[in-house]
Amino acid sequence: MSSRTFPLALAAAALLLAACGEEKVSTYEVPKEKDPEVPMAAPDAASQAPASPGAAMADTAVPTASGDALAWQAPSQWTPKPASAMRKGSYSVPGEGGESDLSITAFPGDVGGELQNVNRWRGQIGLGPLEPGDLESSVHRVEANGLKITIVELEPKGDPAGKSILGAMVPFGGSTWFFKLMGPGISVKAAKPAFLEFLHTVKAP
Amino acid sequence: MSETLKQLRGIFVSLRLTVVLLALSIVLIFWATLDQVNLGIWAVQQKFFHSFLVWVKLGSLQVPVYPGGYLIGGLLLANLISAHVYRFKAGWRKSGIWIAHAGLILLLIGQLVTGLVQKESVMRLDEGETKNYAESSRFNELAIIDVTDPKVDAVVAIPESLLASGTVIQNPKLPFKVVPRGYFPNTDIAMRSQAPAAAPSVVTQGIGLQVTTSPVDVTYKEDARNMPAAYVELVGPDGSLGTWDVSLWFNPEFAPGPFLGVPQKFDFGGRTWKLVMRPTRTYEPYSVTLEKFSHDIYPGTDIPKNFSSKVRINPPGGGEGREVLIYMNNPLRYAGLTYYQQSFDPNTDKTTILEVVSNPSWLVPYISCGAITLGLLIQFMIHLVGFARKRRSA
Repeated sequence: MSSRTFPLALAAAALLLAACGEEKVSTYEVPKEKDPEVPMAAPDAASQAPASPGAAMADTAVPTASGDALAWQAPSQWTPKPASAMRKGSYSVPGEGGESDLSITAFPGDVGGELQNVNRWRGQIGLGPLEPGDLESSVHRVEANGLKITIVELEPKGDPAGKSILGAMVPFGGSTWFFKLMGPGISVKAAKPAFLEFLHTVKAP
Repeated sequence: MSETLKQLRGIFVSLRLTVVLLALSIVLIFWATLDQVNLGIWAVQQKFFHSFLVWVKLGSLQVPVYPGGYLIGGLLLANLISAHVYRFKAGWRKSGIWIAHAGLILLLIGQLVTGLVQKESVMRLDEGETKNYAESSRFNELAIIDVTDPKVDAVVAIPESLLASGTVIQNPKLPFKVVPRGYFPNTDIAMRSQAPAAAPSVVTQGIGLQVTTSPVDVTYKEDARNMPAAYVELVGPDGSLGTWDVSLWFNPEFAPGPFLGVPQKFDFGGRTWKLVMRPTRTYEPYSVTLEKFSHDIYPGTDIPKNFSSKVRINPPGGGEGREVLIYMNNPLRYAGLTYYQQSFDPNTDKTTILEVVSNPSWLVPYISCGAITLGLLIQFMIHLVGFARKRRSA
């Protein structure tokens, strides 16, 4: 091959190879995939969601709660974080074992009920789900400022270094508000008194 | 041979060209390394090495300012091969040099092939989970899935590049046309109820009615992902079915809250369809199950000491699978793919993230380095033996 034709051949080969990577629509069949497990709102809550004009819609997304907002007073040592689209409030809670994250979210209805919510949190730190009969013994109920607060404390068994969750659920105005403190076990434990005190500052507007 | 051709040949076979190209590549690598701060490694590779020219933005114009990796590598290869062809003389005295140079040529070609055909994706597995596909960490697709059949999902996957170019998609498996009405490579999302001042959107169906999607700058950060969204109108034989917002934000793996994970479904033509924007999937005939993920950290820190995944490969026929332990620097090679332990989900410690690399030319660097070593060794021995003989005879 002469010295002139080689670079041309090389460029042609490069173009051919590049053409292989062109993106096209592909069609195929796969065994049925389950939809991700998403806690559904109770039927009465679903009816509060804005009605979709698409009558043919098989289902509709559940929005975050948009009614009156709860108010609270956070301790000064907690650092507020920029609110994201889904969070009503967000704080970084310092601790010996590292920072914990406090998220405040609200969704319409009872979001599948207390058991389902507790089990979702349990799943997040690797604990198995609770049976319906075990729920009452693993939650703690308090009342503050006329709000009924259900508190749940979750820590992974036999793993002091694992993540823990200290959570609270507050039904309010047809929605459920979730206060979830998640972080290293030691930090969450240390932040518990401040968290409980903080819950007592939560009130309706 | 005409004078011009002779001159051209002279340039191609010259050692001067080699030196100039090597100098250019040093500058290219230096510049690319500095630019990695702004662009991240993937974008730098695309801009500087997987390109014929390096383009720089001057005002509103893109201007080529420097030869890219393909051009320098291609010329280097042409230079090396032309010099060989021109100067080749048969005989064993130069055999070592030939072998070493053949190794170098193979290395350059191998890199070109790798750059063009290598595919990287990610397989994310929870303990106990089985998957037969890997997902791209860069590219996304709109999957329109016919979910009517209780056993099988029929998928039509549309690459986001087609949504971006606004190509109208008509596929024999779909009873409607897909008309892209807008595409944003990276977006932010907010609930419409919390953004009363937001402009009305073109969306008429689905979750998109309840959110506002706003375009944001494309990110090149290593630890961040672009969240593309598109507005697509579906048009049936009797007119429009509506316009949907399809966004990676609605994918439960990326959604900030649990609620946006609800799939967008609708009924049309007696069948139920699902619309999902998701990372581009590559299916394999076999599946992989994560049996156990282990993760140790250095005491008192969050720094990983080692992490490993015990996986089971389930072959296509459903026969006896085999168990493999994947850990750092000990990847699994199976069916032309390499599974590396890449990362894990620090929130659960039960989820592994494996990098899946398809690189048909992965052996080439080993072979070429072997050839270069062998060539140099042979050449050295030829000289050594010659020198020893001369010395003895003197």
